[in-house]
Amino acid sequence: MAEESAAGAVHLLCLAASSGVPLFSRSSRGGAPSRQQLPFSIIGSLNGVHMFGQNLDVTLRSARTEDSAVVWKTFHDSITLIVLSSELGCAELRLERLLELVFGAMVLLVGLEELTKIRNVERLKKDLRATYGLIDSLLVDTELAGDLTQCVDCIIPTHGPLLQEALAGFAEEMGSVFASLVAGGRVVVGTEGWWRLGAPEAVLLPWLVGTLPFQAARDYPVYLPHGSPMVPHRLLTLTLLPGLELCVLCGPQPPLSQVEPQVLERWWQPLLEPLRACLALTPRGIPAGFPLHPDILGLLLLHLEQRRGLFTVDLGGEEGPSPSARRRLLRSFYVLVTATHFPPEEKAEEPGCPTGVPRACYVVCGAAAEGPQGRQDPGAGLRLVAVQAGPRRLLLLVSARSPTYALRGLATRTLHALTPLL
Amino acid sequence: MARLPAPGSVIVPDWHESTEGKEHLSSILRKNRRRVFGLLERPVLPPQVAADTASYKIFVSGKSGVGKTALVAKLAGLEVPVIHHETVGIQTTVVYWPAKLQASDRVVIFRFEFWDCGEAALKKFDHILPACKEKTDAFLFLFSFTDRSSFEDLPAQLSRVAGDVPNTVKMVIGSKFDQYMHTDVPERDLMAFRQAWELPLLRVKSVPGRRLADGRTLDGRAGLADVAHVLNGLGEHLWHQDQVAAGLVPGPQESSPDGGQG
Ligand SMILES: Nc1nc2c(ncn2[C@@H]2O[C@H](COP(=O)(O)OP(=O)(O)O)[C@@H](O)[C@H]2O)c(=O)[nH]1
Ligand SMILES: [Mg+2]
Repeated sequence: MAEESAAGAVHLLCLAASSGVPLFSRSSRGGAPSRQQLPFSIIGSLNGVHMFGQNLDVTLRSARTEDSAVVWKTFHDSITLIVLSSELGCAELRLERLLELVFGAMVLLVGLEELTKIRNVERLKKDLRATYGLIDSLLVDTELAGDLTQCVDCIIPTHGPLLQEALAGFAEEMGSVFASLVAGGRVVVGTEGWWRLGAPEAVLLPWLVGTLPFQAARDYPVYLPHGSPMVPHRLLTLTLLPGLELCVLCGPQPPLSQVEPQVLERWWQPLLEPLRACLALTPRGIPAGFPLHPDILGLLLLHLEQRRGLFTVDLGGEEGPSPSARRRLLRSFYVLVTATHFPPEEKAEEPGCPTGVPRACYVVCGAAAEGPQGRQDPGAGLRLVAVQAGPRRLLLLVSARSPTYALRGLATRTLHALTPLL
Repeated sequence: MARLPAPGSVIVPDWHESTEGKEHLSSILRKNRRRVFGLLERPVLPPQVAADTASYKIFVSGKSGVGKTALVAKLAGLEVPVIHHETVGIQTTVVYWPAKLQASDRVVIFRFEFWDCGEAALKKFDHILPACKEKTDAFLFLFSFTDRSSFEDLPAQLSRVAGDVPNTVKMVIGSKFDQYMHTDVPERDLMAFRQAWELPLLRVKSVPGRRLADGRTLDGRAGLADVAHVLNGLGEHLWHQDQVAAGLVPGPQESSPDGGQG
């Protein structure tokens, strides 16, 4: 399709930093995986200019042209990642976080030691093939936002406490403190220990589970990029219902063979209806009856201290842009407010900006921003509004019929209403 | 001499094509697709045709790339991987299969739990092989018709993986049988192997089956017809083994010298 081929592409390159040997490259175009590869000469130049800077003690971090951006980053003096993006609104913030997460994904699946002490390049290349699925999912259109926000995508279940209790009991019987229920890459409930997982594994583990093909159960070796980059752990996943997986992170014990159907049934059969209800929550993320203003077409709510997020565009409102366009608008707006209006999340509570006082900003989308020629651009006039209060930040995508003077009030009230959820 | 059940002697071979069989198959289909089951779910049959469930764990063993993951996906009615990616860690797949027993005329629902793991994971991590072998009811040893070395490796594998596990079902599966034109494993070598080892042997083609009118979704009924012989063969040996263990039919030890079959 003409429309698709006109859409931007993302190229990711991975090289051994010292030798410049390419280890792999992955690409996407128009939000879908693509086989297209950059010519070897371009790979060489992109790496060469970065190395040239390095020899002069200059770290080349990023470069832009009118319609594309390049970001370089070298990890542990051993692995260089380069991303080249011509996607609409490709921002350095997004690309830098992408590279961090890609490297995290590589550590998660092959371990830091193999990446920093490269003994056999061919062997490393072969082992890195196991990361392609996860990395590709970071380059294409997604329903999640954690790759960008560095917060764990969540679903707010109707029967949270019941599920929480069962999860805690089950985890204890398994001898692990790390357990969660994951639906479509989003965490429904997690044990206290699970929520203590550091970045990036807190985002990557549910993301990984969301990308793997259907299996009844798995015993999946993972390294934790933050918590245990050298010693592998085991991620056990148990598909309670298609689309709903119970995840347990553990050491050598217990073997997967010990998690018998009877054990699962004892804990989870009594909760079959609440579990089914979780599935009905994807992709909306919040209970159907939850009152939200009908002008709201999508929302991104982040709890910056707990590092959890709720990202949904399935709130009704048939008219207006498609779900993927709504997600794209909210993601770009997130980049904008994070880069310019609000301090980066890490510094959210710096002295001088009193918490509790909501701060806000909004933009109105221009006409024909990305609408196909000749048709009314469904994105024209849409409003995007952000408020921050204490540890919470809320971004809303609002219908064009909503008056701009009421946006801040709408956002503040919505944030207030959502506060008990996250 | 080991006594193997003759094909079709335990399970009625083409029962899944009968009216009664089709009625039972509808419990593992939904809108002509294969149904996938979570661990908390099972096929539901109407009360008047209710059947017992017989659960078995099956470890799928064989060299990297012979087609273990593709076979399991094919049996489960899932998309078979086109590009070879070594399986990470262990993955298990549950396949339900209703079948009719010859002796009692009863219907049982087999619940096969396939354990599949990548060769690299097996070598790298000590916990994988014991977990796969623990309480396993059957071993499937795969070789590929297009890879002679995978066939020659069978004896070593049999002793390495299952040497210390007597009284379990062991079956040999020749994969990529659709590539038989290019085979490296001629029939006479197979005959020799079967005579030496007396193990049941099945040939499989783990290739995507027919699709529904939308051109994308796999046709569940067609997929089941493709693999019925494998599922029946597996069920037959597992059921027979249970009967032997329960002392209901004579096993290898008690069998008379002239009673054995290949
Ligand atoms: N033509 C054909 N290809 C197969 C068959 N079984 C597996 N393959 C292909 O062989 C490759 C390896 O298969 P896979 O199941 O991943 O091997 P594993 O390492 O044993 O799990 C894949 O590309 C499959 O598509 C088969 O029966 N016929
Ligand atoms: Mg495999």
